[in-house]
Amino acid sequence: MNGNLYHNRKAQWAVYITVFALLALLPTYYDNPFTLNQFARYIVFSITAVSVSLVWGYGGILSLGQGIAFGMGAYAMGATMQMQYQDPESDPIPTFMLTNELETLPLVWEPFWSTPIGLALAIGLPTFFFLVFGWMMFQARVAGVFVAIMTLAMLAAWYSVVYDMQPFTAGFNGISPPMPFEIFGTQIDPYSATSYWICLAFLTVLTLGTKLLLHTKFGLIVQAMRDDPERARFLGYNVAYYQTVLFTLSGFIAAWAGILWVMIVQFVSPTSMEIMLSISFVIWAAVGGRTSLLGAIMGAFLINLGQSYAGDAFQAYWLIIIGIVFIAIVLFLPKGLAGLFEIILGKLSGQNSKANQGA
Amino acid sequence: MSVHDFWTPFALLPFLNSLFIGISLASIFFIAALGLTIIYGAMGVINMAHGEFIMLGAYTTYVLQTFFGIPFLICLPLVFIAIALIGLAIERGLIRTLYQRPLDTLLATWGLSLILIQGIRLIFGGEPKYVGVPKWLDFQIEATFIHLSGVRLFIIIFAVAIGAITWFLMYRTTLGIRVRAVMQDKEMAASFGIDANRIYSLTFAYGAGLAGMAGTLFGALKTLFPDMGSGYIVEAFLVVVVGGVGLVGSMFSSGILGELSSIFSYFTNDTFARFILFTLIVVFLRFRPQGLITEGTTRR
Repeated sequence: MNGNLYHNRKAQWAVYITVFALLALLPTYYDNPFTLNQFARYIVFSITAVSVSLVWGYGGILSLGQGIAFGMGAYAMGATMQMQYQDPESDPIPTFMLTNELETLPLVWEPFWSTPIGLALAIGLPTFFFLVFGWMMFQARVAGVFVAIMTLAMLAAWYSVVYDMQPFTAGFNGISPPMPFEIFGTQIDPYSATSYWICLAFLTVLTLGTKLLLHTKFGLIVQAMRDDPERARFLGYNVAYYQTVLFTLSGFIAAWAGILWVMIVQFVSPTSMEIMLSISFVIWAAVGGRTSLLGAIMGAFLINLGQSYAGDAFQAYWLIIIGIVFIAIVLFLPKGLAGLFEIILGKLSGQNSKANQGA
Repeated sequence: MSVHDFWTPFALLPFLNSLFIGISLASIFFIAALGLTIIYGAMGVINMAHGEFIMLGAYTTYVLQTFFGIPFLICLPLVFIAIALIGLAIERGLIRTLYQRPLDTLLATWGLSLILIQGIRLIFGGEPKYVGVPKWLDFQIEATFIHLSGVRLFIIIFAVAIGAITWFLMYRTTLGIRVRAVMQDKEMAASFGIDANRIYSLTFAYGAGLAGMAGTLFGALKTLFPDMGSGYIVEAFLVVVVGGVGLVGSMFSSGILGELSSIFSYFTNDTFARFILFTLIVVFLRFRPQGLITEGTTRR
């Protein structure tokens, strides 16, 4: 490549660090609790966009079911937070279970008495599910569109379960833990700078960690598989293994998003596993630029900011605008806004190296 | 809370009734998936807006009935033509540019479905609308174990009829030969002088028209919402994929999935049945990704 700044590794790291630093400084300018919570939500959504970018932009696996990990993590966190509120002697059973005529705490809820175990389950269960599900799919060489359909079907199936098992999951009413999340003896107020920084910390660690991973040989192989799985197979790589690992990682990231989500909104319901939400993750990553982690983050921010501040006038047309933008991105800008940025930077640096023409 | 609260014990008559309802469900799946089978089978296009074609058909019927007082049976062919024309426009405008990119087609048609849902919501509002059931369908069959409404019976009959007509078109007409040729190998068919692009347009329009008619029927069955289509899209896709992307395959898979869905619903309830069914399908697809019945087609 000629000197396109977009591909310069040092420049990339500089930009990433700058963006995260700027985001960290946000609470010093906006200390309105509502705004902080709002931006914390955007950060959580960015994490889901990063998970999509990883598995789709870099792995070529269009997964429409990131909501499964998001929802599982969310529900496990909800259960943990709910049980933090319950007292083993005086008030052991959450209200919604009593309304559903449960007399004792179900066995599946027992582990959530302990916060560390609850958190471990919140991360472990979705990751494990994605591992098994991914292995099942990729070992059978399911690819492309079929992966999309199968993840979509699995998501719809899980939505049905969570919606239906009212005694266990509170059905469509959702679980509303009465207390904020408590860890190491302190409560984390969802409307404070602390929770915002916790979410940002996770976003930073997960994004930079993923970026480091993608710079390794693993990252190169995975991108090779995205571009041509057959060729990778002929070169001797076990495509199923790499795809499964990538898929599991994306589930891991999305599960953290689910956990943080419930921490800041103190509510979890089947909407976390809705089809529309999972596809929104994909839309954010696509618009921002699925081949760029930062692009995905920006996409999530931009669309959600737009949605919040579109005002009543636009609210009715918002979905139409999103639909049109999405179609336009798919047709003309497959790499999203980050791709546009890349083209612009390419033009700017291309003008300085006429010697590269005709090379 | 015990397992018994989830599982209904087996009783013969209600179980036989659920088998019969399974036929009704199968017919609904079949009609919803038929258009998609043809579109995906012929063109390899994943049309995520298929559910919205169904929804458009339902709303068109509503408009025809409410504002023009057109009787139900006449609505069917009119809706077919209307939605087929819409499908044609969409194919020419959007789908044509994405033929070699199935994933992008999926995403672009999803964007389209968002636009259609919101557009209908803006025009008609979000409150439910109703398609009137015609008088001659307004009855209930109450035999020993069969409890079926007239509309459902009509849907079953219609499913058989439209399946037969489509089969006839595909396997007994010259147009059908051309479509099947294009399905098997577009380039070779084109080199034999078949206008592949025109076939694609016609196929998409036909599939869309079928979805529209499905909407007319489903509208008589259920209330109309702007996002009613999304309730059909996942099932329709699963019917198509399990059946192996062919007409006969879709017949079998809709039958099997409809019956299984009904049986599971009998033992547990609708939502849990959905979970079991989808999980089974995912497992089935892992072992047989090409579906139940595969005719010779190019590898997609």
